[in-house]
Amino acid sequence: MRHFLTVAAALSVASPLAAQAPGFTPRDSALHALNRLAYGPRPGEVDSVATIGVMRWIDQQLDPDRIDDAAMQQREREFKILSYDREDLAQRFRDVQRERQRLQRESSPPDSLSASRRGGTGGGVRSEFRELGGELQQLAIVRATLSERQLREVMVDFWTNHFNVFVGKGADRFLLPSYIEQTIRPRTLARFEDLLIATAESPAMLFYLDNAQSVAPGSSPPRPPPNLFARRRFGMNEMPEERREAQRRRPTGINENYARELLELHTLGVDGGYTQQDIIEVARIFTGWSIEPPDRGAGFVFRDWAHDHGTKHVFGLTFHDDGKDEGIRLLKFLANQPATLHHVSAKLCMRFVADDPPDGCIDAAVVAWQKTRGDMRAVLRAIFTSPDFWDARAVRSKVKTPFEFVVSAARAISADPDSTPRLAQMVARLGEPLYQQPAPTGYAETEAHWVNSGALLARMNAAVALAGGRLPGIDANLDAVIPATTDHAQLVDAVDERILGSTMSAHTKSVILEQLDDISDPTQARALAVGLALGGPDFQKQ
Amino acid sequence: MTISRRVFVRAGGLALVSLGLDPLFLARAAFAKTRRLSPLSALSASDRPILVCLFQRGAVDGLNMIVPHGDRLYYEERPRIAIPASDVVDLDGHFGLHPSLAPLKSLWDNKSLAVLHGIGSPDSTRSHFDAQDYMESGTPGLKSTDDGWLNRYCEHDREHADTPFRAVAFGPQLPRILAGSAPSLAIDDLQAFGLRVPQEAARDRLTKAFEELYDGAGTGLLASSSREGFEAIQMLKRADPTQYRPAGDVEYPSGRLGRTLLQIAQLIKANVGLEIAFADCTGWDTHVNQGSSDGQLSARLRELGLALSAFTRDLGEGMRNVVVLTMSEFGRTIRENGNSGTDHGHATAMLVMGGPVNGGQVLGRWPGLEIDQRFEGRDVAVTTDFRDLFGEILARHLGATDLAPVFPGYAPPLARFPGAIRV
Repeated sequence: MRHFLTVAAALSVASPLAAQAPGFTPRDSALHALNRLAYGPRPGEVDSVATIGVMRWIDQQLDPDRIDDAAMQQREREFKILSYDREDLAQRFRDVQRERQRLQRESSPPDSLSASRRGGTGGGVRSEFRELGGELQQLAIVRATLSERQLREVMVDFWTNHFNVFVGKGADRFLLPSYIEQTIRPRTLARFEDLLIATAESPAMLFYLDNAQSVAPGSSPPRPPPNLFARRRFGMNEMPEERREAQRRRPTGINENYARELLELHTLGVDGGYTQQDIIEVARIFTGWSIEPPDRGAGFVFRDWAHDHGTKHVFGLTFHDDGKDEGIRLLKFLANQPATLHHVSAKLCMRFVADDPPDGCIDAAVVAWQKTRGDMRAVLRAIFTSPDFWDARAVRSKVKTPFEFVVSAARAISADPDSTPRLAQMVARLGEPLYQQPAPTGYAETEAHWVNSGALLARMNAAVALAGGRLPGIDANLDAVIPATTDHAQLVDAVDERILGSTMSAHTKSVILEQLDDISDPTQARALAVGLALGGPDFQKQ
Repeated sequence: MTISRRVFVRAGGLALVSLGLDPLFLARAAFAKTRRLSPLSALSASDRPILVCLFQRGAVDGLNMIVPHGDRLYYEERPRIAIPASDVVDLDGHFGLHPSLAPLKSLWDNKSLAVLHGIGSPDSTRSHFDAQDYMESGTPGLKSTDDGWLNRYCEHDREHADTPFRAVAFGPQLPRILAGSAPSLAIDDLQAFGLRVPQEAARDRLTKAFEELYDGAGTGLLASSSREGFEAIQMLKRADPTQYRPAGDVEYPSGRLGRTLLQIAQLIKANVGLEIAFADCTGWDTHVNQGSSDGQLSARLRELGLALSAFTRDLGEGMRNVVVLTMSEFGRTIRENGNSGTDHGHATAMLVMGGPVNGGQVLGRWPGLEIDQRFEGRDVAVTTDFRDLFGEILARHLGATDLAPVFPGYAPPLARFPGAIRV
């Protein structure tokens, strides 16, 4: 351990120098930092970061509350979904369910079910709810595109994915917005332990991983239970006479799902050295962590009657009957276990350094975690100042995820997207629709999971559409980025400098020039050059 | 790490062919020793086995799809939605087809349609999300599996890795069942695959430009995947699968399913090396007003029956190497609910059809509908683990060499194969 500390101390001194290491111009360093801590540069941003100094810019990004983001806050007001709280959304969700029931009861011509699935029929409540779902996705894109607090947006994406919740699972359709706004966003750069506890208590996670229905075997509520669990998780469209039978299917035992994923995915990692018996003990500790029914707001509730009051033994700890505090104590313990430190640090390094990250940056992150009890700012700073982060082999070694590609392309051409889900649909076509990964693993951090031939063709189509300015709802302002010109060499140089941060390969340059050869219209030439640049191989890398 | 693996798959497949060796064949013989199999490299493309999977998302009511009309309890529990015995298309005196599936009766008669009843997951979940996830990951009860069983099969059996069309999902995204490190293609619409430029000349030019750009991308996944994409575009242009019109008087029903099956048939006829095709068909979650011989479920089944019938007639003789499999995440309650519908249940029925199928029979052990025969007192019990059927099709039809990596921790032994494929 002493060895680690020495290394870390040495790194934190040496690293600002490393950023200016031989081979890295200030612009190189700025571009690398913008590609990893941000969603790529906007036109001119490489120069502005190089001017203020890359380490100073990184420190600013690590302290987002002090960055002025007034324009973004102004834009957020266009999103209706931010003005609704969980209760409002729960109410709308129930209205949608009732509307669907009513439609199905009233008219049952052949195929009415599939017609309603396609949205062929449906009242205002349903279209409004759909619209809100689109807004939720597009909001993530608008924030990532326009916010000055870029690192925070990158970390929102990282944690939302690490603590994945699938928006398509029943009540999570209305629980997800509050999960993003109240659980994840305020804690992106906080202590890991606080974030872990917040997710454990979040209605979205309790529902998604079924802990809401995990009860001590043999326990029963003091009075008839609220009807939350008896309902279908999809299509909560039953009538009261059905409920009596449904109540017989009230949960009667523990559900291990959350316990397993807590250990395997959220904390220790799959090789974290726990057993099936450990999972059962952990599940017993979390019995009673549940949610109120939707008509009471669907908030967190600890149900003492459902809690297993017996003694639990796990990881060398003993938990006597201590209600909800058992779970809190366990979460704090897990958040600071060496296996957790290593698992989460390695995943952060996969995101920020390389798909197969070197040990050096992981160790640096772990040391910082130990020193600060998991202060994510310190952990991230350790990664950003490690020699591995600034190694030439790390630069442009990662392929952008679908989300990163779309947002960085929008930033590159100074696009100003509105609240309609155009870009969100584009991300979906590239293979990773936002909040729609059903598996609790979230999307993988490695390129093999999103690079495939169909998805690459979709990227080329997206690039051409963006460059052509043909997408409604996206105000691309190419004139401000690259002036139209009949001088093709000048045009390609401008595309290289403004969009690719001067990293365009000689090969790309010659192919684009060749393609421009017989095009005399300057606007058409510019659209083609920008489309090929955004859809070509150079821009896929970060 | 993953890069080199995928690149190896490609190189490995080609290397085997070029050496004329087939080391996997010996291992495969262990599984399929009674079936005359030749090394795939010796088969002409049109002789390669093909699997078409249709996922009935939403949980199809197995009891109204394949009706146990010989069972008194079926009628007692479903006074409003049971299919009257006079409407059922009888199969074996006990089971029969929903009348909307009548177009499939001739396949039963010529023994190329088998039914699996009482099939499902060993996991008891009644969540669509969890159950679909388990059926696609192939690891019921285990949520953290990040790839699908069809992809793991492709990853492990590498003989087909020389075509970008080996595994194709029809839809905008790659479904979970094909997610993973082996290359597979998602095609939303065969006609629109590739770059979206209206005029052909302009499209060709842009395609060529991007192809040249990516030629400079060096090695790695980005380079190999883009090459696969452009290869696929070229193959499609050359083979022009959309030139193949349905045979004779065959007419696919309008709607997404018919269009998808038509395109699968076109890909098969175009001989581009298709081994696995996958498509979704939705609208089975019939909680309310499910209907009986007519109604909602009937309409969905009619589309399914007409589409499958058109597909088999369109391919005709070509069906000798094709197996079509339907699957659904679970079945529905035995008893109808208060809304003349059914709620989420447990076991359901699956259809297996095609030349290699041991058809004309209802396979699996029928668990019965008596209260004490039911799962949790209410649902059709699962007597066949879905992996037993999927595993059999992989081993006996596609010639999978080893099911252990496809279904980790399970790998059905021969004795558990329900016998859907002729040996």
